[in-house]
This record gives sequence, structure tokens and C-alpha cells, in this order.
Amino acid sequence: MARGISRPLLIATGLVVLGLASWAAHAHSRSSARVQTHATPAHKPASVASPALSQAASSPATPPAAVPNSSSVLEPGKPFSTRVVAYQIEARLDPSKHSIAATETLTYHNLTGQPLQTFPFHLYLNAFQPQSTWMTEVRLNGTRGTQAGEAWNPKHFGSITVTKFAVEGMGDLTGKMEFAHPDDNNTLDKTVFQVALPKPIAPGESVVFHIAFNDIMPEVVERTGYKRDFYMVGQWFPKVGVWWKGAWNCHQFHATTEFFSDFGTYDVKLTVPKDEITGAGGDLVATTDNSDGTKTLEYKSEDVHDFSWTASPHFTDVEDSWSGSAGIVKIHLLMSPGHMSTAPRYLAAVKGTLEKYDEWVGPYPYDRITVVDPPHGGFDAGGMEYPTLITAGTTWDMPKDMLVPEVVTEHEFGHQYWYGMVATNEFEEAWMDEGINSYMEVKVMDALYGKNSFFKFPFAQLSEDEEQRLSYLSLPDADPLTRLGWKFINDQSYGGISYGKTATVLLTLEKMLGEEMMRHVMHEYFLRYRFTHPTGEDFLKTIEDVSGQNLRWYFNQAFYGTQVLDFEIEDAHSDRLNWWEDEKPGTKDQTYRTYVTVQRKGDFIAPVDVLVRFEDGKSVTEHWDGKDRWIRYSYIGKSKLASAVVDPGHTYWLDRDFFNNSYVVKPDSRATHKLENLWMFAVEWVSQLTNWLT
Amino acid sequence: MASARPKAFLEGAGLVWRRQRVVWLIYFFTLLLAFLSTRGLVQRTAHVLDHSAESASRLVHGFDISAFLELQQIPQSPLTGSNDIFGVAPVISLLFLIFVTGGVLAVYYRDESLPFGPFFEACGDHFWRFLRLLIYFAIAMIPVLILVGVTSAAYHHIDEVSVSPLTAVRFGFVAGIILLLLAMVIRLWFDMAQVIAVAEEERAMHRALRQAARLLARNFLSLFWLYLRISIVAVAVFALGLYIWMVVFRPESIGNAFILGQLLILWWIATRLWQRASEAKWYWEFRGSQPASVPVWTPPPSPVAPPPPAPAPASGVPA
Repeated sequence: MARGISRPLLIATGLVVLGLASWAAHAHSRSSARVQTHATPAHKPASVASPALSQAASSPATPPAAVPNSSSVLEPGKPFSTRVVAYQIEARLDPSKHSIAATETLTYHNLTGQPLQTFPFHLYLNAFQPQSTWMTEVRLNGTRGTQAGEAWNPKHFGSITVTKFAVEGMGDLTGKMEFAHPDDNNTLDKTVFQVALPKPIAPGESVVFHIAFNDIMPEVVERTGYKRDFYMVGQWFPKVGVWWKGAWNCHQFHATTEFFSDFGTYDVKLTVPKDEITGAGGDLVATTDNSDGTKTLEYKSEDVHDFSWTASPHFTDVEDSWSGSAGIVKIHLLMSPGHMSTAPRYLAAVKGTLEKYDEWVGPYPYDRITVVDPPHGGFDAGGMEYPTLITAGTTWDMPKDMLVPEVVTEHEFGHQYWYGMVATNEFEEAWMDEGINSYMEVKVMDALYGKNSFFKFPFAQLSEDEEQRLSYLSLPDADPLTRLGWKFINDQSYGGISYGKTATVLLTLEKMLGEEMMRHVMHEYFLRYRFTHPTGEDFLKTIEDVSGQNLRWYFNQAFYGTQVLDFEIEDAHSDRLNWWEDEKPGTKDQTYRTYVTVQRKGDFIAPVDVLVRFEDGKSVTEHWDGKDRWIRYSYIGKSKLASAVVDPGHTYWLDRDFFNNSYVVKPDSRATHKLENLWMFAVEWVSQLTNWLT
Repeated sequence: MASARPKAFLEGAGLVWRRQRVVWLIYFFTLLLAFLSTRGLVQRTAHVLDHSAESASRLVHGFDISAFLELQQIPQSPLTGSNDIFGVAPVISLLFLIFVTGGVLAVYYRDESLPFGPFFEACGDHFWRFLRLLIYFAIAMIPVLILVGVTSAAYHHIDEVSVSPLTAVRFGFVAGIILLLLAMVIRLWFDMAQVIAVAEEERAMHRALRQAARLLARNFLSLFWLYLRISIVAVAVFALGLYIWMVVFRPESIGNAFILGQLLILWWIATRLWQRASEAKWYWEFRGSQPASVPVWTPPPSPVAPPPPAPAPASGVPA
């Protein structure tokens, strides 16, 4: 999911607004930090309501059980994944009521190695009910597009109701359905239900569920719903949990978390009005015109873990294709009215991203990708990933130098790898999909669009790596990366840490290991864990395996800790040795004692280089282990100090404050004057606006 | 009426040029206000940036937005001080402009440079009157603000129900132009009331407003076209200047940017005064063109300066 889609769009109102907004955000971050709710430590298992839904916590000390074989090649005709589930869904859209009536047949293969008797299911759409956990969290901290405590438009309510639940060979078990709330004991939350079967399903056996359900779609919220006659239908059907780490993993829907599911196959028949133009996360295999003014479209999808679809009578379908190492990929771009000028930009972004991922990470094995451009007013449906279908976002007046459509497209496509194929648990380890994807976003956007790949106006620029770092710095020390997704102190911390910090931590790691090595890491990680559910430790272990280095000192602070890194040149100056004598002008034969004091202001301990330059052009590079809080270097020589810089290569992209990393003796006030110009002009102009009132 | 005084537009510009001391007075006051109100901010920023190698690469050679935002986020951010009068400057400016408007209009109406004493005497004489007028202006703008609210609601409704985003945008554009023109008419009305207050030594602002309303109603096209033309020229040149600043100038051209920025402020001040000068000139000519049955107004004698000279024959203005 794109954290920032609404933010850049707001920024589009102008850079002055951007500055003010950021100022406000800064103030907000400071006030938010005063919240005195005690954080749940990282890796502490969530409260468990039912043993059947217990989820084991990942531990930094727990090594992966076995390293998958990364040399395995995907063979055409053979499943890419271990197919645990097979969904057959028949659904009918009623646009007049914004509702969907559907039946679902789910075949679940018990590959857990043990008998299973209780099965949990997600009912995500019930999050949009007044007393759900999702809504409670939104009221507290806000979420994308909704501020904390903000009035809630009733159009955004939505729901899913299971009207019948039967199991083949066991009969109708509708009466045995019970809601479960493993994360917070909110008995009013209805986003998870479970059913205890009359008899267990033996290992290796399958069970077939027959479910009938009705959806009431909300006006777009949290990337699903309708806007006028546009539909983005995601997280819309009862979905079984994942047996993971020896227990069911089926979390409630939270304001900040996303999803986690097993791989399988989807065979979905959608009945919609004839004039609808549709797109879905599957191949369209059949279309039937019905006598009642509707049509039925049949989609099939394999080796994916979700299915979403979209419909609107106003889409313009733009088709293209791209050829990569795994074959031809058909690109469907569904453009909303007024946005056609962005279509070439979307296409360039999706093709460029396919190219870079194919080159750097691994092949894209699916034969399709659908990009949905939500209509105006429907931005809450934008910036979301589903297997082989992504939603982007633009405006009718998107400036060419503001690369928001490109960033969102790249980011959501990246999720085809980090979420789609490397199917991590988004509830528990959000950094593994959002953060790793944000790191790759920096790499791909820079490769495709140059250094300033966020804004590239002639008068102002913003690079992707800086954008990620800024996001992290907005609230750097409240939560570790590894915090369970719904346990972050607030939405700002969740976004800044899961996306921004992970990207910044990995950019720092790249500086430490080298770009080529990091590329090997990402490639190896993908090959090892595609079509599986790896943990954070699997990723970290892959880094150590590939690099051959023990990086625990870094992982423990950057991934598992909340330490903040901040080096500073605390003092740097030269003093004449014969200081008690008057300095004679023009005298060259002077000897100076130069001091450089470096301070570690943050609590993140890391070794660092210090570059000291003298006026005669000579320089010295010191290496400090960074363990103490400060270190002082002194030199005696014929030349005075020119500058001192700690971490001159910006290895630590994590550094909270780059401005205090250097001290240049000869002041350069051009930057100050530039800002002074702007501020004075702003004050003068605003003052003179009043001239038009008097 | 419109054809009776076709040269007020250019004559107003000439008047601003001839009596440019008032432009400089307002400009230097604004500059001083901006300078003082940003001192704390600039000094704190200098403390962070001037000795940092980071600042030149990120803020001088280009404008790295992240560097600016980072300045806000660092622990000892220079941008979060509380001793600035940054936000108060527009209020001070507003009061100052209300104060000087009486003097400015006296200068323009008489077309003479008033010495220090009479100028500020005229300023003081009209300060409270124009402050009352500002309150009336705020009241007069209430219907406009209500219309803005209604238009905004209509815009959102159209945006909500329209398939194309452009439907609402077009509506908003047209409605915005209409509302802007309406606001300009109201401003022009009050501008003329100010001219009448100075020219007629009118103390009762409600009478000045009534008189100005009648005047505006009878000479609407002439007056409004005069006001609108100057506004268009002002905004067009200002926009061109901003374009040059942002797109044409190299990021390192800090000195040039400063000069251009100040020229734009000077232009902004001068064009507003151009409107006032043109309005004063228009009224002066209007009074001169009235039939003899209407008492001919004589400007009050200045304690120092002689009465205003008769218009030069070359100007073609009726005597």
C-alpha cells in the first residue's frame, strides 16, 4: 500500500503549502509523542482469545528452520507455489445497492502435518462498522484519509454477512460460527470468525467449505469500495487464515495492518451490468451475456493469495505488453475520465519497474498485470496492491515534474514481489513488505528517473532516498521496525518506521556492503523465499549468508531497537601554540594545535570515519569505533583547520541530522541568505496583500 | 462617462511616478518590517547552516526540499523559535497602510509632494475614518464570503456527482472569477469612498460610502475597467517575475533573486498605488467636468503647500 498517496497530492498545492504542512506535521509529531500508552515490546505475542487462533511471535534468536533452495527454477505448467487453498466464487454486483451477493466454495488442503478441526476466517469488510477494532483504532489515531476523532461519513460504513456456512460431508454449520478477537478481546469486532468442525481434517486430507455471503460495499475507504459508479472490490470474501509456525494466524483487521493468506487458485465468476468495463487479478477466460442486461465474466488465477476486481462504465482500457525473462506480460491500464494524459506515465513506470525487477531481483512469472487508475474523489482506492492487480493514482492536472503517479505505480508493482510472491505476514512484520519495497522503490525510481525522482521542479527537488529518510525522522524512536503492525504508538510512527526507516536502514546497509552486494542479497532473498511466508529473521539471515558478515550489531539496533543515530562535530578549531604572543600579520611560520571533538549524540553505536582537512590541503581520516559518547582528536602542525566531517561518505543514511556532521571553518552563508530571501519575500508579499484590503 | 476620462489609466501611472516618494515610503517600511521579523529565524538558521558542509550542496546548488524539511525536524530546529514577529507583520502592515492611505490619497488628489508634517497630518486625520471604513468593508464582504461558501458547496457537489473531474474544475474556475470580480467591485467602491473622504473632507464614512456607491453606479464601466486593467497588469508582471525567479535564474543566483524579489514587491506596491492614483485622478477630473450648477470643490489649503495647480493644458483634461 502506498503510504503517501494523499500526501504528495496535497503537496501539489504548492511548495509553500508543503513547508507549512510539514511544519504542522512536525508539531503533531511532538504532541503525539506525549501519549503515555505503554508500548507492547517487540515480539511479545499478542493476547490470544482462542488457542485455535494463537499466533507465535517471531524471535530474533530463532533461526529459520531450513534455508530453501534458491536454485529452484519455476517450471512452466507446474505450480509455482504450494497451493493450500482453492477458491471458487460466483458473485453478482448490484450497483443500485452497492452490494454483492456471492457464493464461495473453498477447498482447503491440510498440509500442516497435523489434524485440524477449527478453522478461522477473515471478514475484512466488517472493519467498517462503528464498533470494530479498526474503527476504534481510527478514532484514536486516524488512518489514511481520516484524522483521529474526525466525523465519519455514514457512506463509508460497509459489511460482510455470511448467510450460510456448510462443510461437505458435515452439513450446515452456520449455527456454529462464532466471532473471534485474538488481538484485543473486542467482543464487538466481527472481522474474524471461526468454526469448530464436528470432526478433524486429517493431515493430507482436504475439506470443502460452501459459504454464501453478502457484501455491502462502503464508499471507498481503506482501498476498497465504490465511488459513484466505480468499484474497487478488495478484501471482499470470507478468507481462511494461515497455519503458520504451528498455529492459526488470523488477525483482526486493524487500522494500520494489511493482510496475510495462503497461496492457491481462484476461479471467480462475476456478474455485472453489461456496460461495465472490468479488470481483475486473474486471466479473463470467458464472458457470457445474460438476458437480464448483465454479463458474467470468468476469471482464473493461480499461485496467488488473493483476488480483487474493479468495474466502471467509464474506464478506458489501455493495453500494452512487456517481454521479460519469464515471457510476455500483458499490461491492462484502466484509466478514469480526465486522467488520460497520465496513461503514458503509468505505462512507462510499470514497464520500467518490470525491467528493473527482472534484472535485479528475479523473473515476474505471471502473464498479466492490471493497473487501475481510480477516478477523482476515489483516491482512497488508490495506491494498493493485490496479486497481479494494483491501483495507482493521479489528478487531471498532475505536473510532469511531480512523479507521484510513477512512484505509486512503482511501489505497488514492487509489492508483486514483496507481498505477492514473497508473501510475508503484513499483520506482524509490516516492514518486510512495505519497507523492503520502499527500499527497492528508491533503487528503481533513481534508476528510471534520475536522482531527484520524487520532485524535479527547476526550483525545488526531492529525491526518493531523502523522502524515505524524512519519513523516518518524523518520529524515529517510538517503535522498532519489528513491532506488530497494530501496536505502533500511532499511524505516523507506523508509516515512518515500516516504510521510511526500513528503506533508510537498508540504504545504510547498502553503503556498508556495497550496491552490488545488496543486489545479490535481494536476488537471493527473492529466490529463496518466493511463494513462501518468510520471517524477518529469514531476511536478515540471508543478508549475513550472502555478505558473509556478522551484522548482528547493526540488526539489533536498526531492526530490533529504537536507537537513533546522530553524530556531531561538537567542536573544531585551531589555536596558535604561542598563543600568549601577539599574532604578527603575514607571518607564515606559525604552529597550531588543532582540536576536533566528535560526539555521538544518539544512542545508536556504530563505527565511523572522521575526515579532517587543513588549510594547506592536507587531510587526515580517523576511524572511531563510536562506542564512547565522544572522542577528541588533536594535531600539531603548520596549517590551521579547514574543516572536519564525521561520516563524510554519508554511510549512515540513518543519521538524524546531517547538518551537524561537519564544521567548515570559513563560513558560507549563501544557504542562509537564500532562505532569508524567501522568508523576507514571503513576509513582504503577505504584508502587501493587506494593501488590497485597506 | 467612460469616454470622458480615457487617460486616467496612464495619468495614474504618471502620478505614481511623479510622486514616487510614497511608494518608497511603503516599500521601505515593508522591507524593514520583513527584515526585523525574520531576524531571529535567520540568525538561528545561520547558526546551523553557515558552518555546515551540507548546506551548500543541498540548498545552494538547487533547493533540496528535504534539506529544508530536515531543518524543521532536527532536535534543535532553527525554524521553531518563538521570538519572531513573523506572524504579526501583516497586522502591523495593515495598520500602517490604513494610517498612510489618507496621506497617500491627499498627495495623489492634489498631485503635489506634501512635506513631512502635512503628509502625516493627513494620515492622522483619516486614520480612524479609514479604520471604520475597514470595518464597513468587512461587513460588506460578508455576502461575498457567503457566496464563496455556497460556491464551494456547489463545487463539492458537482465534483461528487460528475464523472469527469473537469466539470467541477470548470465550474470552480468560472465561479471563482465571478466572485473575484465581485470582490473587486466592492473594493473599488471602498476605494472611491476613501477618495471622496479625502477630497471632500468627509468625516462621516457612511455618507462617503453612499456617495461612492452613487458614483460607481453611474460610472461603473469607466471605473471598473480602470481598476481591472491595473489589476491584470499587476498580476501578469508579478507572475512573469516569479517565473523568472523559479525557472530562469540558476539556483546559485542568490543576489539576483533578492533583487528580483524586491522589484516584485516594489511592483506590487506601485500597482496598488497606481489604482489609487488613477481613482484620485479620475475623481478630480470628474469633479472638474461637473456642470456649473454643482458647487466646484476646492481642496482645503495646505498649511505649507499652495493649492493644487490647474491641470496642464497638454493633458487634455477639461478645466
